[in-house]
Amino acid sequence: MVYQAQDHLPKLARAIFAGCLALLLIIESSGCRRKSAAAREATITIYGFSVVKEGLETSILPDYKQEWEKKTRQQLTFETSYAGSEIVTNLIVAGAEADVAILAIERNADRLIRPEVTRNDWRKLPYGGIVNKTPMVIVVRRGNPKGIRDFSDLAKPGVGLIHCDPASSGAGQWSLLAIYGSELIKSEKRTGFRDERKAFDLLQRVWKNLKASPESARVARTQFERGEGEALITYELEAMQLLDKKLPVEIIMPKATIFSEHPVVIIDHAMSPPKYAMVELFVRSLWEPAAQAAWVNSHFRSVMDEKLNEKFPKIEMPFYVKDLGGWSKAYPEIVEGVWKHKIQVSGAGTN
Amino acid sequence: MAYGKTMASPSRRLNYHTNPGGDIARPIGISFILIAMTPLVILPLTSIFIFGFGKGLDHFWEALVSPAAVFSLKLSLTTSSVATLCNVVFGLTAAWVMSKYEFKGSAALIIIISLPTAIPTAVAGTALLLVWGRSGLLGQFLEHTDYQIMFTTAAIILANIFVTFPLAFGVIKPALDNLDKSYEDAAETMGASRWQAFRFVVLPSLRGAIITGALLTFARSIGEFGSTIIVSGNLAMKTQTAPLYIYTRFNEGDFEGANAIAAVLAALSIAIFSLILFTRKRLEK
Repeated sequence: MVYQAQDHLPKLARAIFAGCLALLLIIESSGCRRKSAAAREATITIYGFSVVKEGLETSILPDYKQEWEKKTRQQLTFETSYAGSEIVTNLIVAGAEADVAILAIERNADRLIRPEVTRNDWRKLPYGGIVNKTPMVIVVRRGNPKGIRDFSDLAKPGVGLIHCDPASSGAGQWSLLAIYGSELIKSEKRTGFRDERKAFDLLQRVWKNLKASPESARVARTQFERGEGEALITYELEAMQLLDKKLPVEIIMPKATIFSEHPVVIIDHAMSPPKYAMVELFVRSLWEPAAQAAWVNSHFRSVMDEKLNEKFPKIEMPFYVKDLGGWSKAYPEIVEGVWKHKIQVSGAGTN
Repeated sequence: MAYGKTMASPSRRLNYHTNPGGDIARPIGISFILIAMTPLVILPLTSIFIFGFGKGLDHFWEALVSPAAVFSLKLSLTTSSVATLCNVVFGLTAAWVMSKYEFKGSAALIIIISLPTAIPTAVAGTALLLVWGRSGLLGQFLEHTDYQIMFTTAAIILANIFVTFPLAFGVIKPALDNLDKSYEDAAETMGASRWQAFRFVVLPSLRGAIITGALLTFARSIGEFGSTIIVSGNLAMKTQTAPLYIYTRFNEGDFEGANAIAAVLAALSIAIFSLILFTRKRLEK
């Protein structure tokens, strides 16, 4: 073989060349390159918090796609990804190419407003950028064996509670506000002043029954569905979807509970004007009657039309985050000040 | 990596007992293995197949051919193949250099190469983000170009490469160390170039180690989850690998859909490890 010495250099060179070519091909084809302008124009990428999936995928997106393609004779593709609200926000901040974000909490929407992500003022969208709402409820096993009527009953001994992790999920934060706020609202109604000590006490006692804190509302629901825990705090729509699946559970509507409200943000960084126009058209369509009816079909409550909400049970003392001073006050005071710095550190599941 | 060692050196199976019937340690030993493995490994593996086929073959098939499932499997296969190719080429080169030349810091280098196996995969994903992400060490320079690494297929490949980095090297290096150096030297004395000596003397005897290393890398790579979920963005039909698809189905409570794909991955692993065993046996003959 030695006599072939001269032949091998070209062979080696060829091998290296082929290798480089293959690598280049991989880089070009594997989507390492940002999408071509044309492809980008015809695609809307949506990052949503975990529970908006049904409403979007079963009717809103396919309907809109069909109508768009009929009207413009142009293809439209939706790309979607769903996870806990904080997780979705972190992905977009880190550079995931989203066009639209539907988030569980306002604070996450505000976290996106930075030059390299979006300059779009989502509050200028219809209804202050809030696309739908749903109250936080308690789900228990059929027959309500633990006799749970309100948040305070969750502190009873032997009630294993599934509560979303407020660090990763919007539902987790809404749920903290629901428990803590319910006591504020009730005490105000009774005595005319908000008893923060009582509210703190309630949240702390409930937290001691924590059995698991999953990363998103959807994961929490699945855990409960598979038989973990005696009670679950979650969005009303998640609870109703469990009933749709004919699972042996009951929904308990607390006397006082918060409506979670969900903002939509257009991520306008690197968006061409025609693309922006197309995305804005889609986003605004989320407030049209058809889309609002679709949200209600997947058990969100409409922010627009109370008539659509007649199928839902009445709440005795409903409240909103604005009743707690808005997120800019509620987050540092309740989520961080009370839960993160005082209750979480004192330990969960210590009952 | 035990695979490489046994491959290059002739296997020594010592028969202490020529009369197996009289040896009580044999049945006890085997039952111990099986009893210990049942709750630890066998039952969990079986559950994948039980739940995967739990709603009947129709349901299994339906779950399997759904576009998102097919896409995720294809994506996993391609990204793992590319990662395997890269790591085998690197592993082979590094192993050859390090077993041929002694140099300062080679011990440190081996430790660095081996590190990725010990690092939590979530840390690996975050670390990649800190390098290639929007404000990362290198990513910031890409920000205003047409190229993007994070949240694309390239990110998935990078994550796969990182977490499987030492595997091929770990198998090939001991095999090379055990190789008799005199053949290579002899070839060079006879006038072969360094490349020829490598190509016609070293490479053929490393076949087994390379195949094993590649298969191990591939198997580990196709199951990678922790780093992928951080760097890929988990976009269905775009950057959702099979493990991410499975995870998403689990979260949705669709255990059958999840396990259908999981069963495919499990079957694939069975095939891969059978192939490793088969290669070993064949090359040891």
